[in-house]
Amino acid sequence: MTNHDSNGGAAVKHRHRHEGPQKHVVAFIFSIALTLIAFAAVAAGGVNTAFTVLILLVMAVLQVLVQLGYWMHLKDKGHMIPIIFMAGGFFVAATAVVAALYWMWW
Amino acid sequence: MAHAHSVKRHKGLMDWLTTVDHKKIAILYLLAGGLFFGIGGIEALLIRVQLAKPMNDFVTAQQFNELITMHGTTMIFLGVMPVIFALMNAVIPLQIGARDVAFPFLNALGFWTFLFGGLLLNLSWIMGGAPDAGWTSYTPLSSTTYSLTHGVDFYTIGLQIAGLGTLIGGINFLATIITMRAPGMSYMRMPMFTWTTFVTSAMILFAFPAITVGLVLLTFDRILGANFFNVEAGGNPVLWQHIFWIFGHPEVYILILPAFGVISEVVSTFSRKRLFGYSSMVFATILIAFLGFMVWAHHMFTTGMGPVANALFSIATMLIAVPTGIKIFNWLFTMWGGQITFNTANLFASGFIPTFVMGGVTGVMLASAPADYQYHDTYFVVAHFHYVIVGGLVLGLFAGLHYWWPKMFGRMLNEKLGKWEFWTFIIGFHLTFFVQHFLGLIGMQRRVFTYLPNQGFDLMNLVSTVGAFLMGVGVIIFLVNIAISFKKPVGLPDDPWGDGRTLEWSIPSPPPEYNFKQTPLVRGIDALWKEKVAGHTEMTPAEPVGPIHMPSPTILPFLMSVGLFIAGLGFMFTSDDFGNSFLNFIFSNYIVTGIGLAITLGSMLLRSLFDDHGWHIEPEELNNKGVKA
Repeated sequence: MTNHDSNGGAAVKHRHRHEGPQKHVVAFIFSIALTLIAFAAVAAGGVNTAFTVLILLVMAVLQVLVQLGYWMHLKDKGHMIPIIFMAGGFFVAATAVVAALYWMWW
Repeated sequence: MAHAHSVKRHKGLMDWLTTVDHKKIAILYLLAGGLFFGIGGIEALLIRVQLAKPMNDFVTAQQFNELITMHGTTMIFLGVMPVIFALMNAVIPLQIGARDVAFPFLNALGFWTFLFGGLLLNLSWIMGGAPDAGWTSYTPLSSTTYSLTHGVDFYTIGLQIAGLGTLIGGINFLATIITMRAPGMSYMRMPMFTWTTFVTSAMILFAFPAITVGLVLLTFDRILGANFFNVEAGGNPVLWQHIFWIFGHPEVYILILPAFGVISEVVSTFSRKRLFGYSSMVFATILIAFLGFMVWAHHMFTTGMGPVANALFSIATMLIAVPTGIKIFNWLFTMWGGQITFNTANLFASGFIPTFVMGGVTGVMLASAPADYQYHDTYFVVAHFHYVIVGGLVLGLFAGLHYWWPKMFGRMLNEKLGKWEFWTFIIGFHLTFFVQHFLGLIGMQRRVFTYLPNQGFDLMNLVSTVGAFLMGVGVIIFLVNIAISFKKPVGLPDDPWGDGRTLEWSIPSPPPEYNFKQTPLVRGIDALWKEKVAGHTEMTPAEPVGPIHMPSPTILPFLMSVGLFIAGLGFMFTSDDFGNSFLNFIFSNYIVTGIGLAITLGSMLLRSLFDDHGWHIEPEELNNKGVKA
């Protein structure tokens, strides 16, 4: 249906409250900083490759959280359904990959 | 939304090719599903003729392999899935008080990709041989080493295109149910069929990507010479089994959950009682879906995963019996003390319950890993899954079709013929498959094209074949019933059963193309029944009469699917020698594939560049009752 006027009361409505640009500026700086740290970790070389990989992974996870929370608005109200579905999808996929790999190769 | 456009209305065939109306797409799904169901049924009968007596030579071993492969693939992917989608399309928007699905264009696209995928798969019969590696298409049997024809290529590419349609449909219903419920319809006021459709769509969303990846890998192995499943080059054939069943096990719950929803609606309506334990039904549905993703390896007990894995998957599988048991008891308690009407729809629903329990019990038996080493790849397994798919899902679909037929077409099906249909079908079903339990237990393997006499198999196989033909008679009576119903004029009250509980029974049969003149206000579970109890004859509207915004018909979904069909066909034959230099040239240089993709991508470009804002039905038109679907 494309009739926007009669959309259901139970329907989830996007509420983009006016919150000013400050939070987005902070999130943007945060994203850039995470990227720079990752690049710096590789450029610095360091003694231990495993440690560099660990830093990259931590930066990647933080980056995903910032992207989803701020830019995809998942931290705002009315986004419970996308969060549930993303978490569900992640759980199912992770179980399948880990279990299948475990029983095939280890 | 002030831009009212004049709408181009198509007539005849063009109307059906361009429609984005969910009610018409439902009819298209039903027609296509019926066609493939018929093909799959004929394949089943040929299989049973071959097995009717020992050492039969009705078909060759190769033909038999093709028949069983195509029977399974056709029935699962092209037979029952579209009939499920037909019911969902026909009913869901009406049950939630919406005027269409969330994405009408995608709805049409989903149907056409499914149809062209299915046609591509069945084209294999006349283009050098059907797939012959079983519906599970296990590697290495499905590799180019053992499967030399293009059969398995038709399987991988046909299913890929058809699967796209299913995925699109699933996403569409998720968005529809989440965002388009009428005012007042909270999640815990949704009808049970809407709930099961919702959960099924979520399962489609999570499960189909697995088969998509698997089919891509197998296509690469077969056509481009990759080695994902080739042991000699470091691949792993068990990987295919994991990928297939990570999809395949949720798939069987994707099939059965909508049937659970249908049974809940039918049993409740014809017992004139509210569904017993509504919230536990919702809980059980979600739990089945969750567990459905955690049990795939019970199809692989004999691949040598080890005792720990087997024990875990055994227990997880047995756990599913708990939520399923909740459902069975809830249906029984719904019937208990109700004013039950045993019409055809309710007969199928009541027949479903004991039949499905039998399939469930053999399921728990198979879940026991040590016992499964005995049952594995015998007719016991064949009996089990036919009890849950035919005795469960197909009986549920028959119940649903009889129940919603008046709403879809504005005509009643004949009750007398309906009862003949039910009794021939269910007796035929039990004759066919009950004996197969024992055939399996005394050692008859599945997928064998013939057997030696005097092993105790002879009589039971003959009984099974007789039963299969009786089921065929049941289906033919159903077709006759449909044909007779179309002789009658259209004209039924809004609620032809008199006991309708949910919103679809508050609007005309068949509904006008905008479904609801005014969006209804939902004041409780079983919205229409609630109004009836309060002494009202119709729903309270939630909005004044106003212009209704409608999506425009379009040919683009059809063209996109034709493009994919051509591209798939071209891709399959890239390394073939046709004995004709022109054909060799256009196939081996990806020209055919390119043309197909150009059609699809070009259609997508057109869709993106030219905005179509749809059109409006004005209130004057609504009051004139000038608009009919």
